[in-house]
Parts: sequence; C-alpha cells; structure tokens
Amino acid sequence: MGGTFVVTLREGFEAALILGIVYTYLHKIGAARHYHYATRGGLLGVVASVALGVLVTALSGPLLDLGPDVIGLGVIFIAVIVLTWHGYWMQQHARAVKGDVQRKIDEAQATHRLWIIGVIAFTGVFREGAETVLFLWGLLSQATSTSSWASATGAVLGLAMAAALGWAIFRGGRHMSLQRFFAVTSILLLLLAAGMFSTGVGRLEAMGFLPQSPTVWDTSSALDDHALVGGFLNGLVGYRARPSLLEAGSYLVYLIVAGALLFRGGASKPRPRSPRRPIPAQVT
Amino acid sequence: MRSRILLLVAGVVASLLVIVPAASAADAPPEIPLSIDKSQFQPSEVKVKANAPFVLVITNKGAKAAEFESKDLRVEKVVPAGKTVNVRIRALKPGTYAFIDDFNHQATGRIVAE
Repeated sequence: MGGTFVVTLREGFEAALILGIVYTYLHKIGAARHYHYATRGGLLGVVASVALGVLVTALSGPLLDLGPDVIGLGVIFIAVIVLTWHGYWMQQHARAVKGDVQRKIDEAQATHRLWIIGVIAFTGVFREGAETVLFLWGLLSQATSTSSWASATGAVLGLAMAAALGWAIFRGGRHMSLQRFFAVTSILLLLLAAGMFSTGVGRLEAMGFLPQSPTVWDTSSALDDHALVGGFLNGLVGYRARPSLLEAGSYLVYLIVAGALLFRGGASKPRPRSPRRPIPAQVT
Repeated sequence: MRSRILLLVAGVVASLLVIVPAASAADAPPEIPLSIDKSQFQPSEVKVKANAPFVLVITNKGAKAAEFESKDLRVEKVVPAGKTVNVRIRALKPGTYAFIDDFNHQATGRIVAE
C-alpha cells in the first residue's frame, strides 16, 4: 500500500503544484471568475491522459516504441515555453500592480492571455497523467485480493494527498502578499521549467538527436534520484544524480537566460524613478 | 501571437515525426531482451558491449503496467501489461547504469557495459 501511495503522490505532485499555483495566481490578479481557464486546461489534461493511456495499451510496434516519447518531448517543451512566458508576465504584473486602479488595468491586460493558464494547467496534468492512468488501471483491473485492494487504495490516497497539497498551496498562497507570492512562485516555476528543459535535452541526447556528452558529476550514492527524496527534488527543481554535460549545461543556460529575462528586467524598470539618480558620485 | 505559437508547436511536432522514424531506420543494433515478471526484472543484470548502441526489448509478462525508468540512460518508458517495447540505447561508456520499475520500486536492475 505504501509503495503505490508514493508512486501516485510523486506522479501527481507536479500537477498539484502547478494547479495550486495557477488557481492562486488567478485569484491574486483578481480574475477568480476566470478559474474555468485552469479548470478546463486541467480537465483536458485528464481527458488527454486517459486517451493516451488507452492508446498506449492498444498500440504495438514502432508506434508504441516512439509515439509516447515524441508526445512526451512535445509536452515537455511546450510546458517550458508556457511556464517561461507565464513567469515573464508574472514579473510584469508584480511591477504593475500597485494600486487598485492598476490592478484593474492589469486584469484587463491579463484576461486575453489567460488561455496560457489553461495550457499550463493542461501540460501540468498531462505530463505525468498518462503514466498515472496506466498505473492505476493496472492496479484496479487486478484488484481481486485484499492486498491488491490495499495497493489500489494506497494509489488513490496518493492522488488525494497530491490534490490536498495543491489545495494547501491555494489556501496558503491566497494569504501571502501579492509581491511575495509572485516572487516565490516565479523562482519555483523557473526551477521547475529549468528541470524540464534539462530533462527534454537529456531525452533528445538519449534518442540520438544531440551528441552524447560526458557525465559531469555523480552523486547517486549520496542522493539517488530514483529514491524518494532525490525523486521529489528531481520533480521539483530538476535534481539529477548523474547528469550529462548537456543536461547540466542546458539547466544552467536556461536559468541564466530565463532568469535574466524575468529578474533583470524586473529590477531595472522602477529604478530611474528612485532618488538614487541625483547623487553625483560618478567621479572616481 | 496565438497562431504563431501554435504554428511553432506544430512545426516542432512535425519535424520530430519526420526525424524520429528516419533515425530509427538507420541501422540494426543488437537486441537485448529484458522481461518484467512477478515484479522483478529478468535478468536483473544486463551485460552489453560498451561503445556500441543496442536495443532493449522489454517485455512485461506481468498483469500490471510497468515503467522502465533509468535516469542514467534518460529513459522513461511505460510498458503496459503483456506488451513489448523496444528502447534504443546509444553507445554506452564502460560502466554501470541503474534502472528501475518506477511503478514498483522493488524491481531494480542494472546494465553493465564493458
């Protein structure tokens, strides 16, 4: 029971984290009546996961060998794009939202880009969704004895736990100040996207589309990324015990580029109005 | 903006669909069988030649779905019950590469390239 609980909790964790953040985000920007963007995206993710689960079970041969990989890669890179874009917009909002008037302008600005939220919710659910569906399916279809029922129950409880985590993020996030919420989630999503990007690059490397690169470090004996803690860190910030040079490099490059896009732009704009300018201390 | 993004995404997916089959049809590396039965990998240690690509032919003989996963090999592959999946692995440097059934962490194994 414990084993299956951990599996679904781990698979559902990322989806819960992302859904928790996007709902809170909608609430924060005063767009609570637009929750349906996230809801529809998430539901579509569930539908797509079930569809892919059915498809994978029905497929065989080369389609089964490569189809899920191609879809998986596509989802990873789409997720990276929308998360980066969203992070950028969050930074813009954080700067724009000062008073109520600006909040309204902000809302208007945000509204026609809210479909991005839907895409984020979709990719968040779909990324591990098909796997979870197949896992649950296997458990439930075999649930005849007491022990297998216990496994199935554990799996369902794991998903429920993940959902509870998402809910906790939503409850907690709503009470956080807007600035802090944006700051925390920007960094969180940035690390999450960096991990995904590096995973995608690693897959491309493994599939032969990118040259093979040497392993940069090996911390598998200290913190195994297959084990519980390492696995969670892998999902959350992209931790890897034996990354290749390309994976570690792409992680770093993504962090630098996206970080610069998000934070440097964020810090430079309000500066000119601060009273630091008049100080004539340029003579050295 | 929206249509441009969609176009971009469609382009990426389309090019992957073209490249992937082309890459897989290049040559025929040796096939190494690996099965999952009674929550264990058979064999749990797979010996392969180093510096040569190969294909892992993973058969799930159990009644539940399994997920062959190896962070070392960058592979994450669901193998539905009763199915066989081929996974191309690139040439490996001599060494040990761990894998696991991500749906059942009791099932572990490793590839030894030498």
